[in-house]
This record gives sequence, C-alpha cells and structure tokens, in this order.
Amino acid sequence: MSKKIFVLVAILLVISAWTYTKLNAEPESIILSTTTSTQDSGLLDFILPEFTEETGIEVKVVAVGTGKALQMGRDGEADVLLVHAKSSEIEFVEEGHGAERFDVMYNDFILVGPEALGYDNIGDTLKGIMDNELVFVSRGDDSGTHKKELSIWEANGITPEGDWYKSAGKGMGDVLQMANEFEGYTLTDRATYLSMKDSLDLEIVYEADALLLNEYGVIAVDPNKNETINNDGANEFIEWILSAETQEMIGTFGKDLYGQPLFFPNAK
Amino acid sequence: MELLREGLKEALLLLIRFDKEVYSIIGLSIGLSFTSTVFSAFIGIPLGLYLGVKPFKFKKAFTRTIYTMMSLPPVVIGLLVALFLSRSGPLGTLGLLFTPTAMVIAQMILITPIILGITYNDAKQYGPAISQIGITLGASKFQTLKLLITEMRITLLIALVTGFGRAISEVGAVMIVGGNIKGHTRVMTTYIAMNNSMGNYAMAISMGIVLLLISFIVNTVLYRYVAGE
Amino acid sequence: MDINITNLVKKYHHKTVVDIDHTQFRSATIYGVTGDNGAGKTTLLKIIAGLERYDAGEILYNGNPLEQGMMKKITYLSQTPYLMRTSVYENIVYPLKIRNIDPMIIQNKAKNIMEELQITELKDQLATQLSGGESQKVALARALVFDPEVLLLDEPTASIDPATIDTIEEAITKRNKLQKMTVIMISHNMDQVKRMCHEIVYMKKGKQINIKE
Repeated sequence: MSKKIFVLVAILLVISAWTYTKLNAEPESIILSTTTSTQDSGLLDFILPEFTEETGIEVKVVAVGTGKALQMGRDGEADVLLVHAKSSEIEFVEEGHGAERFDVMYNDFILVGPEALGYDNIGDTLKGIMDNELVFVSRGDDSGTHKKELSIWEANGITPEGDWYKSAGKGMGDVLQMANEFEGYTLTDRATYLSMKDSLDLEIVYEADALLLNEYGVIAVDPNKNETINNDGANEFIEWILSAETQEMIGTFGKDLYGQPLFFPNAK
Repeated sequence: MELLREGLKEALLLLIRFDKEVYSIIGLSIGLSFTSTVFSAFIGIPLGLYLGVKPFKFKKAFTRTIYTMMSLPPVVIGLLVALFLSRSGPLGTLGLLFTPTAMVIAQMILITPIILGITYNDAKQYGPAISQIGITLGASKFQTLKLLITEMRITLLIALVTGFGRAISEVGAVMIVGGNIKGHTRVMTTYIAMNNSMGNYAMAISMGIVLLLISFIVNTVLYRYVAGE
Repeated sequence: MDINITNLVKKYHHKTVVDIDHTQFRSATIYGVTGDNGAGKTTLLKIIAGLERYDAGEILYNGNPLEQGMMKKITYLSQTPYLMRTSVYENIVYPLKIRNIDPMIIQNKAKNIMEELQITELKDQLATQLSGGESQKVALARALVFDPEVLLLDEPTASIDPATIDTIEEAITKRNKLQKMTVIMISHNMDQVKRMCHEIVYMKKGKQINIKE
C-alpha cells in the first residue's frame, strides 16, 4: 500500500515540476495594467493576440481598479498603462511617472436604470433620482467612472447623500449587477453595459452628453523606477496600439455582437 | 434556477469540447494546489509529528498559536505576499509578482499551518504512546518514525486532503499575487470571480461545478481509504 | 539480566518521585512491586525501561549502562498498551521484523506464542477492535515473541477475566524459569503477587523497601 502511494506521489511531483518549468519558460513579456471594465469589455482579448503575433511579446494583462492601475504605474509594477481617467493620467505624467500620454480611443458613459425619467438634461435627471430617493449605485472606488460620476453631481450642484445612494467599492460589472438587483440607477461606460445587457433588466435612460465622454489613454511607465521594467516592450506596444491598422481593428470591435462598436479610436 | 441549468449544460459542453483555455485553467489550479500541498507537507508533517511527540515548555501556548494560524485570512496573506514580492518590495528583484510561483508561495503560507496543525493535534494525542511502543519493542529512531507515520496514516491523509482543498478553493490571495492573467495565472477560482463580475453567469457556474466535482472526487478517495481501514 | 540500581533520584517539578539508595533485580527472578498510588512504581519501571530520564544515580544492566543494544532486550508493557492499526498477527511479528529475523523463524515463533496465549483464532482480526483481555494477550505476545531478558509490567491483569489471567501468568512464569527472564511487575492483586513473585518490592513516596519472600 505504501509503495503504491509513493509511486503516485512521485508521478504527481513530476507532473507538477513539469507544469512549473513549462510556465516559467517564458518569452519576452510586458505587464499592462488596465481597468476591469476595459478587460471585461473583451476588447483586449480581441486585439492583443495581433500584437503578440507581430512582435512575439506577450502581454500580461492585470485588470484592477483605475486607482490601483495608476498606483502600479507609480510603483513601477507595470510596464505600460491603459486607463480612462484623463485628468489623473495628465497628473501622472506631470509628476514624472511616465514620459507621455497618448489618446487611444473613447466611448461614452450612459445612465442606466429600470426606466427613463423623462427629463432632457442630466442635471434634472439626477435631481429626480435624489428627490424620489431612487437607488443609485456608485462605483465608489476612485476609478475613472467614479470620478466622472462625482464630477457630474458636482457640475449640477448636487451632493448625493442618503440611503438611496449606495457606494459599492467594486468594478463596473459588479456595480451593474447591484443596480439590477436594487432596480436602481448607475453611471456606466457603454461598452460594459452592452456586453452585459442580456443579463440585466436595465435600459439606457440618458446618453449623448458632452459631459459623458470616456477617454482612454496609454502611458509607458518611466523605466528609471527599477531594473525590471520593460520599456522597449512598452514603447512597441504604444506604437502598435496607435497604428492605423490597430486603430481600425478597435473601431470594429463589438459591431457584429451589439450592432454598434464599443470604442471609437482617436489616436493622433 | 434557469441559470443553474444553463450552467450545468455549459459545464458539460465545456468539458466535452476539450476547450483548451478551460483545461489549462483547470490544470493550472490542480497543478499549483498540488505543488503547494506537497511542499507544505514536507514542512508541516515532520514538524507536526516532532512537536506533537516531544514534550516541551509552553506547549499549551504553542497549541493555541497553531490553531490560530490555521485560520489566517487568505486575502491578508495575499496582500502581504504581494507587498513583499512587488518590484518596489524587498524581494522585488526576483520578479515573482503575478507569477504562478507567487501563488504557490501564498498557498503554502496558508496551508502549511493547516497540515501542521492537523498532524500536530493527533501526534500530541497518540504520538507519545506510539513512540513508546516503538522504543519498548526495540525499534531504532528511524524505525520509530516509520511506525509513527504508518500508525497516523489516516490523520496525515486528512491533513493533505484538507490542505489541498483549501488551496484549490482559495480566491483572494491568488487573485492579488497572481493577477488572474490569462494563460499564466488564471485559475478556476479567479476565473469564476471574473466571469461573475462580467455577468457571464453560465461560465462562472460551469467552472464552479467543475471545482465542486474535483473537491467531491478528492474527498471520495479519502473516504474510501478511511472506510477501508 | 541483572540490573543494579544505586542512588537513583528522579524529580518531577521539584518534587522527588523516586529516591532509591540501592536495589538489585536479578535474572530468573520475579519481583512484585506494590505500594499506594503515586508512590513512584510506574516511574521506576519507566526509568528502567529507558523511557524516562533520571536526575541522579546509576543503573547498570549486566554491569553496563543502558544503550541501544541493551534496550532491545528490555520490554515494558503499560497498563493500556498501544496496539497498532493492523492485524493481530502483524502486531505480534513487528518486533521480529524490525530485527530482520528470518521470515520462516518469524512465522514459527508467532505461531507458537499465539498458541501458548490462545489467541490463534484472532490472527487476522484488527488489533484495535479486541476486548480488554484479548488486547492484553496480544500485547503480551508481542512483548514476549522476541525473547526479552527483562520484562517490565504495569498491572498486566487489572480488570481481566480469571481464565485470561491464568494464561498470562503461565506465559510469564514459564519464561522466567526457562529463559531466566527478569520480571518486574506492578500489581495491586496481593494473591497474584503471592502466587507468582519471588520477592516483593514495596514503595512509598519514592522510596523502596524489599520484602523477601
């Protein structure tokens, strides 16, 4: 009996060792820190294989909240950032954490909820939500979306407070689910909403406002932070994502599934 | 309910289709958890046996410490390990963050106390009697150790299965230190969490069913062995 | 084997549990150890068996201090001996296997001692599922099968049926006579002590008084 166990353990040890070495025999790679909503939209799964095929560089995508993505940049944990918090990104570059910020694409934010409120501007819509104490779920996580949401309340002179205003501290997907459960409202980027629409009972109640643009930027992290940053790889990535072919590819993503593209390329 | 049925259907389809991505995720989960369990056993079992049998000062305080360590919050472990392994951390030059190695490290920190604790608990109870028998029947130190392991084989198996179960079902620590990177550090649990937050309930449920199945199989093997004794 | 004990002292948490000036245990002799609970009887036996350390004094086995080779000739049977989670047969042959005895001899010796103690029919049963009397016989068989020169027993027949007691006592007495095995036995059964023992060692508060038979 003990002999059989010994053999079994030996075999499993060999398998583990093999798996282990396989995983550690890695080609060149870059760490791309981005937001959960960007990853959840499926865009990266769509375009990144092209990059790896062209350059042989693997892209390790770490999807976290915007706050953490930027922090990873500051700490030198990532090689390149792809986020959508323009003012924070500009600050990031000004503070010297990255050389330059480039426009990549944009989409827009929309207000979703169980039913439209019938106002023609966002200010009244938000007031309507607050006055009727309808549930509003906020990202509450310092993300680009969260910052945008706060700026809209502020721009309309409203301070959201009360039981109806729920600060989730979670990603966009989770927040949409929450809003769904509560039959409430939330601000979301169009891409995430479209990709989850089938499992939600929420509809677009407000859209197409200048205030609601969601712009994505890419920044290479300053290589002087530590010795392990792959700056060459990062720059290759930036060059590739701003190239005409990739930009066109971005513009097609989502058309067949949702009837409209999820992102609008705007590299200069 | 509709969701569960769809998930079940999806699960079967996924497994039958031999979807490469899904199988590599399952394989990675099993491989990592198994590796952690084996390494943790190499540390935890000898230590557990030795400490259980040997009388020493402050044994009671030690016992309580071990039991506390057995329920360390995984997400906190993950956070601490990530801080140590990050590029700006003390072990940054090793470049281990977001690698499977980091996940094994985090899992080992989690399950070594469990394996040690389970072994130690029974060794404390039965160890002295077993080693006494070894000595009085003329066994050498090595033979007594062999006897100890043979007599406690069920306990050791329980320790291993419990450790493995904990490792493979953990999500917080491996998410933080691994990053859920596709093709590299994406395991069953992080896959489930991700799909849930994306609203892909069927995928999440299907992987959840696979995870439950693995857990069930491992525990059935244990049960068969124990019952056979 | 002859065992010579001089000035033996053992303390436990600053309390003296054994304090013996001089005593001797000779081969071919059965000693009964009696005394109240806490007198130090079990501790004394465990010290002789090499299971416990002592703080002062000297114990010589055939003139020599205790070492591994000597320990293999001494065996100690506690009040509730631990039986291994395997068959009765495997329990009994364990001490022979670890001494690398020839398999044929092992089979023979096991057969003989099982017959002597009337436990042959229990051969394939799981040792952990036996009754009190059966367990005691199996433990004794296991302890005697390798022909030790010293047998230390801690109340071997407490709460056991009379028929079993007879079988056990016979096995011990036989070896004491034929193989000159030294027997040191703790017992509260005064009839048993009178029956079997050549000398009585009475212990009180760690000290001992020999009463010759």
